[in-house]
Amino acid sequence: MNQIDLIQIAEDWFQSQNWKPFPFQRKTWKAFLAGKNGLLNAPTGSGKTYALWFPIVLNYIKNNPDFKKTHKKGLKAIWITPLRALSNEIELSAQRIIEDLELPMTVGIRTGDTSQKERARMKKQMPDLLITTPESLMLLLASKGYDKTFKDCSAVVVDEWHELLGSKRGVQLELALSRLKTISETIRIWGISATIGNLEQAREVLLGPESESFRESVTIKATINKKIRVQSIIPEQMETFPWRGHLGLHLLEEVIPIIKASKTTLLFTNTRSQCEIWFQKILAAHPELAGEIAMHHGSINKETRNWVESAIRNESLKAVVCTSSLDLGVDFAPVETIIQIGGPKGIARFMQRAGRSGHSPGKESVIYFLPTHAIELVEASALQRAVKEQTVEDRIPYLNSWDVLIQYLVTLAVSDGFMPDEIYPEVQGTFCFQTITRDRWQWMLNFITIGAQSLQAYDEYKKVEVLENGLFKVNSRMVAMRHRMQIGTIVSDADLVVKYQKGGYIGMVEEYFISKLTRGDVFTFAGRNLEFIRIKDMHVHVQNSSKKTNKVPAWMGGRLTLSSQMSQLLREELYTGNMLSRKRSTEINALEHIFRQQKLESIIPSDHQLLIETFKTREGYHHLFYPFEGRFVHEAMGSLLGYRISLLTPITFSLAFNDYGFELLSDQPIDMQEVLDNDLFTTSYMHADLQKSLNATEMARRKFRDIAVISGLVFTGYPNKQLKVKHLQSSSSLFFEVFRDFEPDNLLFQQAFTETFEHQLEEGRLQQALERIATQEIVWMDCEQPTPLSFPIITDRLREKLSSEKLADRIKKMTAKLLKKGR
Amino acid sequence: MYFYLVQNISINNQNFKLHPSGAIFWSEKQLLLIADVHLGKVAHFRKHGSAVPQQVITKNFEQLDRVLSEFDATEICFLGDLFHSHINTEWILFEQWVRSKKVSLSLVTGNHDIINPLRFKELGFELYSERVIDTFLLTHEPEDREGYFNFCGHIHPGVILQGSGKQRLRLPCFFKQPLQLILPAFGSFTGLYILEPSKEDAVFVIGDGEVIAISR
Repeated sequence: MNQIDLIQIAEDWFQSQNWKPFPFQRKTWKAFLAGKNGLLNAPTGSGKTYALWFPIVLNYIKNNPDFKKTHKKGLKAIWITPLRALSNEIELSAQRIIEDLELPMTVGIRTGDTSQKERARMKKQMPDLLITTPESLMLLLASKGYDKTFKDCSAVVVDEWHELLGSKRGVQLELALSRLKTISETIRIWGISATIGNLEQAREVLLGPESESFRESVTIKATINKKIRVQSIIPEQMETFPWRGHLGLHLLEEVIPIIKASKTTLLFTNTRSQCEIWFQKILAAHPELAGEIAMHHGSINKETRNWVESAIRNESLKAVVCTSSLDLGVDFAPVETIIQIGGPKGIARFMQRAGRSGHSPGKESVIYFLPTHAIELVEASALQRAVKEQTVEDRIPYLNSWDVLIQYLVTLAVSDGFMPDEIYPEVQGTFCFQTITRDRWQWMLNFITIGAQSLQAYDEYKKVEVLENGLFKVNSRMVAMRHRMQIGTIVSDADLVVKYQKGGYIGMVEEYFISKLTRGDVFTFAGRNLEFIRIKDMHVHVQNSSKKTNKVPAWMGGRLTLSSQMSQLLREELYTGNMLSRKRSTEINALEHIFRQQKLESIIPSDHQLLIETFKTREGYHHLFYPFEGRFVHEAMGSLLGYRISLLTPITFSLAFNDYGFELLSDQPIDMQEVLDNDLFTTSYMHADLQKSLNATEMARRKFRDIAVISGLVFTGYPNKQLKVKHLQSSSSLFFEVFRDFEPDNLLFQQAFTETFEHQLEEGRLQQALERIATQEIVWMDCEQPTPLSFPIITDRLREKLSSEKLADRIKKMTAKLLKKGR
Repeated sequence: MYFYLVQNISINNQNFKLHPSGAIFWSEKQLLLIADVHLGKVAHFRKHGSAVPQQVITKNFEQLDRVLSEFDATEICFLGDLFHSHINTEWILFEQWVRSKKVSLSLVTGNHDIINPLRFKELGFELYSERVIDTFLLTHEPEDREGYFNFCGHIHPGVILQGSGKQRLRLPCFFKQPLQLILPAFGSFTGLYILEPSKEDAVFVIGDGEVIAISR
């Protein structure tokens, strides 16, 4: 069959459904059938699954004209999705095509939820089309004879690639693809991505820079223009609206009429705890909504989530309070209205959420923005402009993630073993490791075989062994088992299962939260009040409670930062605070009385000014700086400036930051004139100073947590298994300390700093910000009391520390207070 | 080069020196008390594929030597968890270290001490499940007994200090209650467990090579 005949099959099928293929679908079919790889830029709900399932199936028909008589079993294509929740939908659309075209193909799902039995069955006989997650794909590479499994695989589709791109799961996938390319010569690789700023780079990362596959690839864009309208919810009584906070409950009543007026409303919150609280409070204030509203976030059990998702589809829910767990994939036609509670921090995310409503083509999507504190109205105003100007941000891919590479090499050693000379060029061909050198490579090999860089006497290090023929192989069954357990754990904190004492899974919470509870404490989780009984074998036992509580689990991953694009818009909006009201947006005008208060104590900076405010409270001496560059840049700038000041005089700071600025709080005042005279905002020696300031704070130590887990230094235990591993448990922080003291050139230790620079502190953006400040006039206001701008920052309790005082001196000053139990 | 500063305290008319390594020197008895060294832990981790730097092993022995050189001790009494695991290569180093010392050695066994007691006895160790010297009770896990003051380990105590300007510090400490003193872990590859002192407790934190009394 030639290409035209094949495509006709797809055209006919669309016609039978009374649909018409979009141009992007046709383009994708043709490119795929012509043997191309590529990146498809298409939003959710646009028919992207049909754009790629079809050519995969057509390609099978082309290669197996006799398929009705002689179907050759085995894996033909893999569809990778970052979220297990999406796999059912993807399976359905594949199933539909296969049934209608009467093909003898099978579809299967393999994720963390797949039962052991089903996995064993798949091991014997793979489905033709496999839907899986990056972690499960890795696990397949960790099983014996994987090369036979993938030999005839003709396609890999990576769905929601933009979500994976800026994460280590993306690196995991880059490595897996580098292997698959060698095993299956005819494999085509396709990514599907929502709109991001660096689409072309996304394609390069997926396929490998300068690779044959990259040369033979295309980017296809779906041009489906959606109208989005942003509507800010502006409090009627601005005077009583709070200056700080992140919950937004003051405006709860404003939300009710919106929910009641629309078929189904999704309320997006930024954190899981905020989600829990909103759900509770809506129900408490409006009991009549019971049964009509639900909650959805990543820590709730799968059954409940599935139930909520299908209830949205069959229109039995009025409203769902959710987190980013409903950002992706799943297509909910009945959703009419979206409410975003608190700043979404990124334009792409906001637009994607807006896009969840009004799915019919040409229909306008309405998204309400609910500010949680007054200054957030500036963000609302900036979002209005972002949507109008269609600004989107980049996703920054990881470079040199040694932890992931170590995990990958051990994975290969666990399955069939590997020959370094065969794997090296594959690894070097990935985007992440394109600059790897032979020396670094040897470092990796040494690390997994002798656990050091030189052989020591009396050492029993055991992980990967080198066989006589040069094969790198794991022979110990224990090592292999532990490694397989570890593969799924590219996560940030130890999660514990919450369940009823009598059984019944409720969800997952971070250990950090539970560690602060004692028996009898009541907390709200999954919409219930639960009494804590005990922790046993990584399980948290609870029972229902009727007691009231304000304890809600906090998840550490909840903090987001503004993208640079968003920061710029935010700055520009704030500067309009000095303009005439008719030149300003409604949101900015609503802030008038706060601006007035701000001007009373201080000023509203203009674009040529950097504002510094100082004042004293009971807590100590506050020094505030407002560059408006986003949380991460402020974190970096705060550490840098704090470090430089600490060189002038022995001093200790606690640092706080938000998207607008940062604070250096100390028990002694800073001589601000000295700061200005010494040109402490200079970009000279920025990198070196930043590096030194990092040693003084905890940032790199926190980054190291992931690295220690992924690289297998720290073993997180066997989920749901009562095995004695206590003798092997240790905290990543202990590892951080011994590396710092005994092996500071360890690449994994170094990686913690590089990652902090590139992903946490965004060093490049810091440089630009400092260059901008160099052109600005610095305005230092010595204030009597906290200003409206300072309020959200000084009340933030999540703080970094930095000190140039001698530890003993600090201890002596601190003798007065002993703190209660904490982390 | 660190300048070590010890803290002197007296209990039941006996004098004790709290050393920043975590050891306590009992002056009248010329006895060193050391808790939770966890030798063998590094090798145990390495044997299971976790690459802890090997220099950590040497550091433990260096610390022991240093303490011995600073006091004229005739005996070291280890308050449990001396060896973290089954016999592994660190045991060989430990044997070498023991044979090079003239000081007498004893061990009050702890939950981690699973090595055959005969192996310790071969090295000249006196073994105890608990030990009473005058009005003092030496144990691994904390123990309340009327009429005795208890020295123990096991907990790896630490405290969090708070100062003005929202300062916080997390430090290992000697944790003294009216009838008990919990020693910090001596080993280099050990964690901390944060305790909350009450009014009658005294806390001596370790930082920058000093032992500093925290008063309230």
